[in-house]
Formats: sequence, C-alpha cells, structure tokens
Amino acid sequence: MRNKVGILVVGRAGNLTNIERALVEAGAEYIYIKDIEDFEKINKILIPGVGSYKDAMNSIKDRIEIIRENIKKKPTLGICLGMQILGQIGFENGESKGIGVIEGEVRKMEVKAKTPHIGWNKLTNRKESPLFKDIPEDAAFYFMHSFELNNYIDFISLTDYENHKFVSSIQRGNIFGVQFHPEKSREYGIQLLRNFLEM
Amino acid sequence: MILIIHVTNMVRIIARLDVKPPYVVKPIQFEGLRKIGDPKELSQKYYNQGADEILYIDIVSSLYQREILYSNIFDASQDIFVPYAAGGGVRTVNDFVEMLHHGVDKVVINTNAILNPNVIKEAVEICGSQAVVVHIEAKKWDDHWECYTDCGRIPTSVDVFEWAKAVEMLGAGEIIVSSVDNDGTKKGFDIDLIKKMSKLVNIPLIAASGAGSLEDIKKVIIEGKPDAVAIASLLHYNSYSISEIKNYLSSEGIEVML
Repeated sequence: MRNKVGILVVGRAGNLTNIERALVEAGAEYIYIKDIEDFEKINKILIPGVGSYKDAMNSIKDRIEIIRENIKKKPTLGICLGMQILGQIGFENGESKGIGVIEGEVRKMEVKAKTPHIGWNKLTNRKESPLFKDIPEDAAFYFMHSFELNNYIDFISLTDYENHKFVSSIQRGNIFGVQFHPEKSREYGIQLLRNFLEM
Repeated sequence: MILIIHVTNMVRIIARLDVKPPYVVKPIQFEGLRKIGDPKELSQKYYNQGADEILYIDIVSSLYQREILYSNIFDASQDIFVPYAAGGGVRTVNDFVEMLHHGVDKVVINTNAILNPNVIKEAVEICGSQAVVVHIEAKKWDDHWECYTDCGRIPTSVDVFEWAKAVEMLGAGEIIVSSVDNDGTKKGFDIDLIKKMSKLVNIPLIAASGAGSLEDIKKVIIEGKPDAVAIASLLHYNSYSISEIKNYLSSEGIEVML
C-alpha cells in the first residue's frame, strides 16, 4: 500500500519544501493535516518543526486531544522541534506543556561549545531500531538546535557535542523522534525516512 | 604522522552563490561582474560535489531597493537535501517568513540588521535562532575593522566586533564574516579577522571571502577556527571541486563530512 503521510504543521514559520521533497524521494505521498477528517486519509504522521516550543504548542492547543489519539494509532515521526513537543514540557520562552505522549522535558543545552548546535554530527550509543536499517554506524546527520529533550528511557541514539551527550533520537512503540533533520541529511536522511515509511 | 585538528564539529564547506538575478556572478578586477551560470544548475552541481550547504546571496537587492525575488531563490533550492541559506535585501520579519516558505532554511540579513537591529530579535522569536544568520562585511583599517553594507559599498562607522557582540545578544544563530578587501580576490582570508571573531562570539561562525588555494582554506580553519567556510571563486572557476577540497582537508587532519 502506498504510504500517505499527514504532515502536521506546528508553529508559524518553517521550511516545508524539503520535507515534501524528501517524502517524495523516499516514496510517499503526503497531505497537510488541516481538518480532523484528514486524519482518516493518512497512515503515518510527520511532525516537522522549526520555531519555538511555545509557538508550536500554541498553534495546536485546540486540537491536542485529537492529535494525541491519532499519534497513538498511527506511526509518527517528530523532527527537531516536532520531536521535542512530543514530550511533557518545554522551557523555551517560558514554560509550555507538550503533547505528552512520551516523557521528557525540553531545556536549553548546557554545553561549553557554540550554540545553536549547527552542522553535521554522528549518532552514538545506537540501539537496535527499524529506523536505522541500512544506515551505517558512522553516518552523520544535520543538526540545527539549541534545545534538547531529556528522555533517557526511550532514546535510540545519543549524540556527542563537545563532551555533552544528548538524546538525538527516540522510539516508543510506533512513536519516533529525531533531533536532527533527515530532510537535510543527504542520502542517509532519505533512507531514514524510507525506514519510517516501512513501519 | 597526521595531526588531528580539534574543531567543535566537522567543518562545513559551503558553496556560495552571489546572484545578480538571473545569473550567478563573480566580480573580476577591472571588468565588473562576470556571469558564471544559472543558480539552479550551480546549486545542484555543488550539491552533487558534496557541499554541506548552499548559500545564495542576491547582491543587488539592497542596492536596487526592490522586492526580494522569491521565485528565483526557490528555484535554486530544488532537490538539494542539505541546508539552504539565502539573503539579499531582507528587511522585515515578514521577509524572513516568506523566505522560509520558499525553500530557505536559514535567512541571511546584513544591511537592514544594522539599520534596525531589533529585526534580529523579532525574527528569532518567530523563526528560531537557527534560522537567523547575520552577514557582517568587514573592511580593515589600521587598528580596527569597520562594518560595510550593501555588498561592501557603504561604510557605517560601526565597529565589527561591537556589532558581532550585539548580534549574538539579540539571539542570532550564526554569523557570516566576509572581508571587503579580500572578497573575490583569491588572495586568501583575513585570518586575523576570523581569529578574533571566533574567540569573541559563542555562536557558529562562517568564514567567507578570499579562498584562492587549498592552503588558504586549510590555514583559515587551523588558525581562525571558524565552524564553516564559504567558497565562491575557487568553485566557480573550476579550480577545485568540493570533493577535492574536502579530501585535501581530510588528508591534512581536518575533520569534514566525506
């Protein structure tokens, strides 16, 4: 069955064209989730994310219950901020509650290096996961973030930034999250999306 | 023995396109601007060669004070699965948002940030700091560097380092530093400028301007310690491909994305 991905846009500003192209490259069709009925048309949910935690949660506050219900029913991938808001609470520009389908708080990375963390970095402490099929251990992905999700229960990879290890990807059942941007990480990013589509 | 140079991350090699729509151009001494090619073809070419990012700067937008040509910018963003930064004539927060809606991941602002620094803060609030990049053009005088705007044409009397500190405080995610004196000359980077800037600010730094040889790039990375290097002339005149540059840097002990 051809995959139909529902893109759940959070926040006001973000480049979505790469997401669209990457999904097509990985072999999926997509629609944007605008109305509740749209959830019936899709078999996967993708939550991209650029912007702030507060802004993102504000933009979906009227639909949180529906979103939570559907995330529990369909494989979901959160990217960057999209992964962060899956947690319980975020501390960017004040305190905001997250969607809460996984545990974890989102705080600014405390690290002696330059922030935001921008550039290519690798995954360490990788666990077995269908998300990493055909992706070599030393593959690098593109990161662009200042905040991190501190969920050490569901992590499937960590990443080392100047001796600070943070959670770079999570999996809880069919809920996946990546702190990096697969749509901006060349062929291994596309492969990761393909793997997600196979769930 | 290979000496491993420790940098924070793998150093990014960025392909820079200076655009006078509809062409990518490069200044030639005594000749003015030479047409290099089509932005979409070149961005695809450099992506295929292994560029870590593509940087598109419309160099006449501010000067002509016209609307940003979003469709040109969008066209050059096609089919590249790496970050795409674009700038030229960016003034308001709306411009930032429009850019992000046209395939751009990181929006570059120069002239108008100096005229209205608050736009940086506003843009960061809406778009996130990682999407806000400030471009600083520096002209060297005896004991200091001065910010120039409008593609190195107009002096501002603003000190480059004071401005950089302000930019960081306003929340920008990255700084691109180019040298008015070295840009397009292939005589090397202004190493002192990059070195000082790298020590001063705690946000990622992209060194632009001046690469004339592989050694120039190696030198600025080792001595200046930027997080990324933007290359234009060296690529446009086919002196080296990005993969040749990366292989060279790697063989010199510098970590890059191969």
